[in-house]
Amino acid sequence: MMSSRLSKIKRWPSWFLMLVCAGVLMFLGTQRDSGPSTAQERIEAISQRLACPTCDGESVYESRSPGSQAIRQEITRQVADGVLTDGQIVRMIDDSYAADLKLIPSATGFDALIWVLPVAAFVAAVGGLIIVFWRWRREGSLQATQEDQILVTQARQDKD
Amino acid sequence: MLAVSINAALGRGAILLGLLTCLSGVAVTIAGIRRHDLRALKSSVRYAYVAFFAALLAFVMMERALITRDFSMKYVQQVGSRDTPAIFNVTALWSALEGSILLWLLVLTAFVAAVARKFRGRVGDELLAWAMVVMFVVGLFFFFLSFGPANPFTMGPLGVSDGPGPNPLLQNHILVLFHPPILYIGYVGFTVPFAFAMAALITGRVGEGWLLETRRWTLYAWGFLTVGIILGSWWSYEVLGWSGVWAWDPVENASFLPWLTGTAYLHSVLVQERRGMLRVWNLSLVIATFSLTILGTFLTRSGVINSVHAFSEGSVGPWLLGFFAAIVIVAIILIGRRGDELRSPGAIDSPISREGAFLANNVVFSAFAFVVLLGTVFPLIVEAVDNRRLVVGQPFFNRMTMPLGLTLLFLMAVAPVLPWRKASQEVLRDRLFWPAWCGVFTLAVAVFVGADGWAPLTAFAMGGFASGAALRQIVLASRRQGWRGVVGRANGGMVVHIGVIIIAVAFTASNSYTRTQEFVMNEGETVTFSGHSFTFEGLSLESDDVKTSVKAAVRIDGDQIYSPSRSKYIKQGMDIGTPSVKSGFVNDLYLTLEGTVRPDDTQARIKIFVKPLIMWLWVGGALMAIGTVLAAFPGKRRRPTAPVSAGLEESVKEVADYV
Repeated sequence: MMSSRLSKIKRWPSWFLMLVCAGVLMFLGTQRDSGPSTAQERIEAISQRLACPTCDGESVYESRSPGSQAIRQEITRQVADGVLTDGQIVRMIDDSYAADLKLIPSATGFDALIWVLPVAAFVAAVGGLIIVFWRWRREGSLQATQEDQILVTQARQDKD
Repeated sequence: MLAVSINAALGRGAILLGLLTCLSGVAVTIAGIRRHDLRALKSSVRYAYVAFFAALLAFVMMERALITRDFSMKYVQQVGSRDTPAIFNVTALWSALEGSILLWLLVLTAFVAAVARKFRGRVGDELLAWAMVVMFVVGLFFFFLSFGPANPFTMGPLGVSDGPGPNPLLQNHILVLFHPPILYIGYVGFTVPFAFAMAALITGRVGEGWLLETRRWTLYAWGFLTVGIILGSWWSYEVLGWSGVWAWDPVENASFLPWLTGTAYLHSVLVQERRGMLRVWNLSLVIATFSLTILGTFLTRSGVINSVHAFSEGSVGPWLLGFFAAIVIVAIILIGRRGDELRSPGAIDSPISREGAFLANNVVFSAFAFVVLLGTVFPLIVEAVDNRRLVVGQPFFNRMTMPLGLTLLFLMAVAPVLPWRKASQEVLRDRLFWPAWCGVFTLAVAVFVGADGWAPLTAFAMGGFASGAALRQIVLASRRQGWRGVVGRANGGMVVHIGVIIIAVAFTASNSYTRTQEFVMNEGETVTFSGHSFTFEGLSLESDDVKTSVKAAVRIDGDQIYSPSRSKYIKQGMDIGTPSVKSGFVNDLYLTLEGTVRPDDTQARIKIFVKPLIMWLWVGGALMAIGTVLAAFPGKRRRPTAPVSAGLEESVKEVADYV
């Protein structure tokens, strides 16, 4: 009795209701502003996109080196001016150094490989998986021919 | 004074003994296999013990040299100091290249000796004998490194009576005592399944035997690697002062790569055990996991990659790279030679099945590993091809791994409820119903407490979904098996899943909703931020033989005082900031002292980070460790005819209800 009531609850209308609830909640959640709420947080967000010019593989955000401090001060100045967007500030600082300070490689030239290769590998892996499943399914649906059956019968007789 | 100290003499002797022992171990065991000589094969056990004794002796001699401040030795001159506190004198052993290889050797030979002891009654088994040969070869390589290019027992210049001590970052937190050894146990532990996999390929016994022999060894190695990584994150959080736990630093990535392939293996091995399939794949994953530990060691020990905690350039790089290449080439040749024998007899009936989900999980884990590996080595490729410096940082890794992480959470929700072979629509609808509502409920709670952004919200929803599926499995298993419902591979695995989900949710929350503000505060001033009050009560000076520290006293919410500091390490001349953290179940309040400070200043720059759910990262890590131990215990044995995913009564009920 109880289990039949439970199984009724689990039918498609309840799933539909669940999807509607999830959709509404996602809509409500994504309507809010998710960006930095203060100037300081904007500075932190920008500093996470730039590499420390003098240290080993750290971002300006992580590093406490004088080089990073100087960049942080520049970001602070630009954020206080309020003229440039985050992307423009990153570009401006990056342009002012000889080394490439952007922590996100560009999507052009040789650097584009870092974006293309994972996607290509993933697509190839998923494609391979689909082909394998297709083969398995085809092999699974193969029927024994009369010749196969004769072979099996002969083998059984030989064994006996 | 002796030209060679007793520590160096005995240490060198021990390394030489280990080297010769491993060499003899290889030769005698191979000869024993060829001649079917049981006496020779039995001696491999003794060789394993002697190799362990040699590594232990070398380790003890180096510790003795550090503790007794034997500055005649170059390594002690490099990392030792008369002023370093005793505990950090012990940890100084693994604070640089040569010592860390010594620690690797100790752990490796301990594993070899443990395997030899465990299987001592079966030394005549060819599979085991070849596994011992492979482990002796790995041991030989590391003894060789320690004997030649990374010899920790060389003598230093005469007349040195003190040293700088270890890097200041490695002498201000107790976690340096635990994190490296535990991580190394994880790293090196994968040598055992690797050795058995190679032995399976050599002997042609590529069935399920080697998997079953190494199941627990792999699980423990994975568990230690997990705990090691979590402890490393904790150390980073408590020491580095940027308030993060994971920076996608090359050294972090080097430990994460074998974890990813190891995790994929732990799942795909179930398919082989159950259905006899994925033989090549499982062998490849084990070999990839081991070879990635060597590649990671190369990346972080050779100086080719810049990292905040990579060791300085040494001459071990080419040797490690050569060893990595040799492993890969030999493995490919062996797999190629076995060709047809590795073909699996069966087929996966449907992608909507437990084995289908494991395959999908493996594709995602492999893609994850590929992204991390590519991001780590891409700067090297760019430098080689284009001759320019490029840093691939956190934003790249976050962007690329986020969809993979979300997919893994989804698979964690779906896979545990799927039956083997094929799942009907009705079974899916029935078993996923409550877990899916758990996801919606979690999403509702997240929205209610103010979470925003589609990616974090999706992560929370998927986390709820996956935890619902894991809890369902534990509840059903506990109903059937009582306390054994949390024991065994499947049930312990669900405890691990819950740990992973907690970490994923905490990581998402702490990354997405950290609030930060920097305040220039005068003595006695109180500021309010994110619902908490912070009162700056002044600066104080603390000095000892090692460092001079300026500490800021900050009272939080009128209660306890927290003291972020900046320390000048006298010998190294390095200025290190140390954060102070008030931990809580909802938020951590993380304070750092910024800029240059003098103790007589009446003003200080205090940076405050409010970081949500950080404590749950450690709770999740602890659950993963507990789950691993539970998974290693044998669960209730099923009858071979028993259904895998549900009791018979349950299936009958399902069918009856449906009809």
